[in-house]
Amino acid sequence: MFTVLRHDRCVGPYVRAAVVFFAAVLCVGLSSQPALAHKVTIFAWVEGDTIYTQSKFSGGRRAKNATVVVYDKDGWQLLEGKTDQKGMFSFKVPKKTDLRVVLKASMGHQAEWHIPVEDLVSESEDTAPGTVSEPVHPQADTSVDARARVEVAHERAGAFLSPQDMERVINRVLDKKLEPIQRMLAESMDHGPTVSDVVGGLGYIIGLMGVAMIVTSRRPKDRIRD
Amino acid sequence: MHISEGVLSPSILVAGAAVTTAGVVMGLKRLEQKDVPSTGILSAAFFVASLVHVPIGPASVHLVLNGLLGLILGWRAFPAILIGLALQALLFQFGGITTLGVNTMNMALPAVVCSMVFGWAVRPRTPPMLRVVAAFACGSGAVLLSGLLVACSLYWSGEAFLPAAKLIVVAHLPVMAIEGVLTSACTVFLIRVKPELLEGGYVHSASS
Repeated sequence: MFTVLRHDRCVGPYVRAAVVFFAAVLCVGLSSQPALAHKVTIFAWVEGDTIYTQSKFSGGRRAKNATVVVYDKDGWQLLEGKTDQKGMFSFKVPKKTDLRVVLKASMGHQAEWHIPVEDLVSESEDTAPGTVSEPVHPQADTSVDARARVEVAHERAGAFLSPQDMERVINRVLDKKLEPIQRMLAESMDHGPTVSDVVGGLGYIIGLMGVAMIVTSRRPKDRIRD
Repeated sequence: MHISEGVLSPSILVAGAAVTTAGVVMGLKRLEQKDVPSTGILSAAFFVASLVHVPIGPASVHLVLNGLLGLILGWRAFPAILIGLALQALLFQFGGITTLGVNTMNMALPAVVCSMVFGWAVRPRTPPMLRVVAAFACGSGAVLLSGLLVACSLYWSGEAFLPAAKLIVVAHLPVMAIEGVLTSACTVFLIRVKPELLEGGYVHSASS
């Protein structure tokens, strides 16, 4: 741009038009963000034994009718589904393993989200309520001591919640309490490009122009003749 | 237009990278010192144009501007688009680094082809009416070709061609219209203000 200023006479309107164009693009691009269809994102979270996913294009438009495929950690496909009108798709935990949720939107857009197996623990270690899950060995069973211990545990279960029950209840309540936060996270997961991204990119290009000027100025045949 | 990581098969990624490398070499060979500013400015225009979304039609898409780049830059559209796409991938996470080659090919090749087909008509000496029509055709034709190339890339990676192509082309119809008008407007403006710019790309690619 600067070299143009130096070398040309009739350059005023040209530069002005370029500046106006960039300013207009910045305004249009950053103020109204109906959708930006070059990037899709998927965000998945676990609530109890169900996994919810939310898919959208950057800029916030929901990815409707997009395919969501769930793989286990070995790459086997576990299930497949389509997002609804709000870009949501939910499914029961198919298997206790690391899950890879892949969103395949149209036109070569794809995104994925990993759910580590630890996130699935909450409800799926379902033991029947109120039972003591410690295994009772046949030999140990014969000893009076062990039997007494089991009985005491059963009696206690009537009055108090067993640790497992407690955990289940807490998990359920927490899931409910955290749901709005999860949703908020899903909402805020992705922003379109920010002003600093755009300005940074333009800065890079100007820098590269400088490099190109230096390189081309080394080639004698390219020197600008006055 | 920007194909994400992990969608394409390795062979098409390599092929795209090869075509892009060849194109960039062609472009850099033709890059003379006096071309640097226009190449940089158009690369910047391409970089920000993807932020202008067109919310008309079934899917929301964005401007590409590759027709305009081809018209003014000729082969130099390759390096300009490569830089624009690389920055979009790094800063906006559009497309991806592994798909950079294919994406550049998909957008820059139509730019060069359209400038070869329509460039001769968009010269300062050609009649104004012809110029406007040719610029429109160049702008919208480049987007159409890009869409078809994207569909081809997806087809070679195992997706059915016709549905993908239909979807992409239909989604880009409004963009084609807008880019055609934009390219025409730009040429009308440039002819008045800086006609040398329109001699640029084509003359270079023909002379060298």
